[in-house]
Amino acid sequence: MIKLESAHIEEVRGIRKLDITFGKDTFSVSGPNGSGKSGVIDAIEFALTGKMSRLTGAGTKGLSVAEHGPHVDKTKFPDAAFVSLTVHFQELGKTATITRKVSAPKKPTINPNEPDIRAAFDEIAEHPEITLSRRDILRFILIEPTKRSEEIQAILKLDEIGQTRAALNTAANRLQSAQKLAATQIDTSRDTLQRHLQIAEFRAPDLLSAVNARRKALGLPEIATLAADTKLDAGLSGGDKLPEFNKASQLRDLDALSGALEKIGPAGAEPATVILAAIARLEADPSLLDTFQRRALIEKGLELLDGAECPLCDRSWDDEDHLRKHLETKLSKSGEAAKLQAEMLGAGSTLAQYSARLSGLIAPVAKIAAGHNDAARLLLDRWAQDLETLRGGLSDLQGLVGIKSRLERGWHGLPGQLAAMLVAIKAAVDAKPDQTAHVDAHTFLTTAQLRLDDYRDAMRKGTAAQKAARLGKAAYDAYCDVMETELNALYDSVEKDFSTYYKAVNEDDEVKFTAKLRPSEGKLDFNVNFYERGLFPPGAYHSEGHQDGMGVCLYLALMKRLFGDRFTLALLDDVVMSVDSGHRYQFCKLLKSYFPNTQFIITTHDRLWAEQMRSAGLVTTKTSLAFHSWTVDTGPLVESNEEIWDEIAAALSRGKVETAAHGLRHHLEYASRHLADQLAARPAFRSDGNYELGELLPSVLVRMRELCGKAADAAQSWGNTAAKEEALSRKTALSESNGARSVEQWAVNKAVHYNEWANFGKKDFEPVIAAFKSLLECFRCDDCGSWLYASPKPIPESLRCACNKVTLNLKSKPK
Amino acid sequence: MSTLQKTIADKFLAKLAEDEDFDSRKIKQITDLLAADKKPKADDFAKVFASDDAGDIE
Repeated sequence: MIKLESAHIEEVRGIRKLDITFGKDTFSVSGPNGSGKSGVIDAIEFALTGKMSRLTGAGTKGLSVAEHGPHVDKTKFPDAAFVSLTVHFQELGKTATITRKVSAPKKPTINPNEPDIRAAFDEIAEHPEITLSRRDILRFILIEPTKRSEEIQAILKLDEIGQTRAALNTAANRLQSAQKLAATQIDTSRDTLQRHLQIAEFRAPDLLSAVNARRKALGLPEIATLAADTKLDAGLSGGDKLPEFNKASQLRDLDALSGALEKIGPAGAEPATVILAAIARLEADPSLLDTFQRRALIEKGLELLDGAECPLCDRSWDDEDHLRKHLETKLSKSGEAAKLQAEMLGAGSTLAQYSARLSGLIAPVAKIAAGHNDAARLLLDRWAQDLETLRGGLSDLQGLVGIKSRLERGWHGLPGQLAAMLVAIKAAVDAKPDQTAHVDAHTFLTTAQLRLDDYRDAMRKGTAAQKAARLGKAAYDAYCDVMETELNALYDSVEKDFSTYYKAVNEDDEVKFTAKLRPSEGKLDFNVNFYERGLFPPGAYHSEGHQDGMGVCLYLALMKRLFGDRFTLALLDDVVMSVDSGHRYQFCKLLKSYFPNTQFIITTHDRLWAEQMRSAGLVTTKTSLAFHSWTVDTGPLVESNEEIWDEIAAALSRGKVETAAHGLRHHLEYASRHLADQLAARPAFRSDGNYELGELLPSVLVRMRELCGKAADAAQSWGNTAAKEEALSRKTALSESNGARSVEQWAVNKAVHYNEWANFGKKDFEPVIAAFKSLLECFRCDDCGSWLYASPKPIPESLRCACNKVTLNLKSKPK
Repeated sequence: MSTLQKTIADKFLAKLAEDEDFDSRKIKQITDLLAADKKPKADDFAKVFASDDAGDIE
């Protein structure tokens, strides 16, 4: 996987133009709410995946990357909005740049455009879960178990496994239905043969006994065993073959059909009634009907889904997974309709079997009718066709709803005139002279062979269907077994890692913390130990801060499971805002010790947290970026911006004193906080860490004078004249600075207080800017421009700069 | 295919191979379905499971 080296962002979200050097290290971006921090995360995510999570998913209806990805002033010029990332691929040992425009999110420019680099970028694009925001945490922790299961399965890419399982399940169900139908065909063809043979039980000896009696009458040899290729009419030469008419058999076929109407008719009426009742419920409840119809439509859509274009409305989605999830969510919302659907499909399957049996009885009668009454033959053929059409409508929802009137007329749909015609045909057959024993035996054998052929064909199909159904079920069961075993192992491992991480963050008060993550019937129950009082849902007793901590720990455990050693990049967007300061140090320790090879890009609106990350060694001054504010014209304003004086001058030249005053104040706030930390200044302690500029800068001035004085004294004690002069020169410059005088006046003279700057005129404000620029120069090295710092803390022994040109000793010679 | 998905697919195929009704031809067809870029459809699986020649009655 990857680490970020640098980013160039232009006209994306709230950012106009911004360059960041990450240097493959963990990096923090801080700033107040609305300062553009999350825009950085959006931009990185967009460059890597072509998407912005903030603009997709629940609650983002009407938002899109195309329309809302560019800066608000560039919505009509999306070509101007782009992000360029320089990325290092550890496994390839290569560095590459990817540039993605909002106008063409699916066509990034990659340099060098080599196959392995393209493939690596493609892989990352499949992993939007590298970004974690606070709303994602809520998805894991405070969500109902069924949805948690979906969310966690989605992050672990388990949805594809679920889709395979569902496809196997559907295949197994379809094959089972096909087997039932094939079994009905076997029953029907066997009944037809058995009826003709007039045997009580369908056994080979009985069959042979009936056949051999006729063969004996014809002087043919008996058949000893019934084999797969046995011909019951073997020995009858072609010339001897008589018409297939067998009077007794035909009469039995006619009686069978009439009798079936009396038996099968009422039996099939039961499932038909269930279907009609369900249709009536749908018609009585328009919303249920609407849901039902939508459900049928969505199921069809899911079946046809193949790519990112919706098969129902042609709308293009970001990808197929989003579209599939959207459709599945819609389906999951219709529980009552789902229950009704199951009832209807069950009844439909039963009715299809009755229909098939009836069709099996119609076929021989249609043949009989052909010799007597063409109209009856036509009617029987149409009836058989009608029953086949009926079966087609019984297998899906739309079909079931569409056959209402057909079922109301009587499910079997016996043509009105047919009953009389059948009586007439039977009378005609009955009126034929009895056949001689020879002819009877002859036609008995030829008819028996034809029916045996039909039975054998049905058996072959039935055997195949049975085997297919068994294979379908075996495959589905095997997949479920393997899936369950692997998922349980996965959840065990996630559960163990999660508990370890959470304990690491809360080692002071929850040493015996444990968690249980258990899947069951599509749910994922998640319970945590609350001070050894038992297992409870995370939201039951734990504070919001603890829940935030749990969310991040669960995310880290999931990512470790998903990527293993390849978990090298995560974007954490303001995710630990509710974790208290004590636990944040532990959190830094967790990231450093458990994920030493992972680059975290962390944003926070909490300045204190940003400083804690630095003091805990998670990030450094070089790997931190602080925004002090944001305007729609400028985008985020960077605190440590070297070009701040040019920007202030530019604002003033345009007559925008307020903007200039705003910029100066924020820069002073940044510089005074930074210097207070670097020089170990001692402002009056505030437990909330929210120091005002009016408190910090004066204490920085005092501290600098104190350090310069100490340096002069130390130089004096060592007899180092040059160092003494340097220290005194810096102290004098500080004392003579107009800026320093202004700071000293803040407490007593309201007119010069920084709160009043916005009301100054341009001419009045110019000297203020010059004074503070000159003041801050007193804290920098003339050569390298870095801020001076006292080292080590808390009792410094020297005052230094980054290039060591300034190295003022603070320790006097022992007396 | 994710690591977990591949692990499940491999173990699933190994389990099917233990069943003599899943001959090598069927296993190959299922392997191809699981490895394809497109997600496998129910009909594709059903065709594989139903692809045997039927036997005969005795």
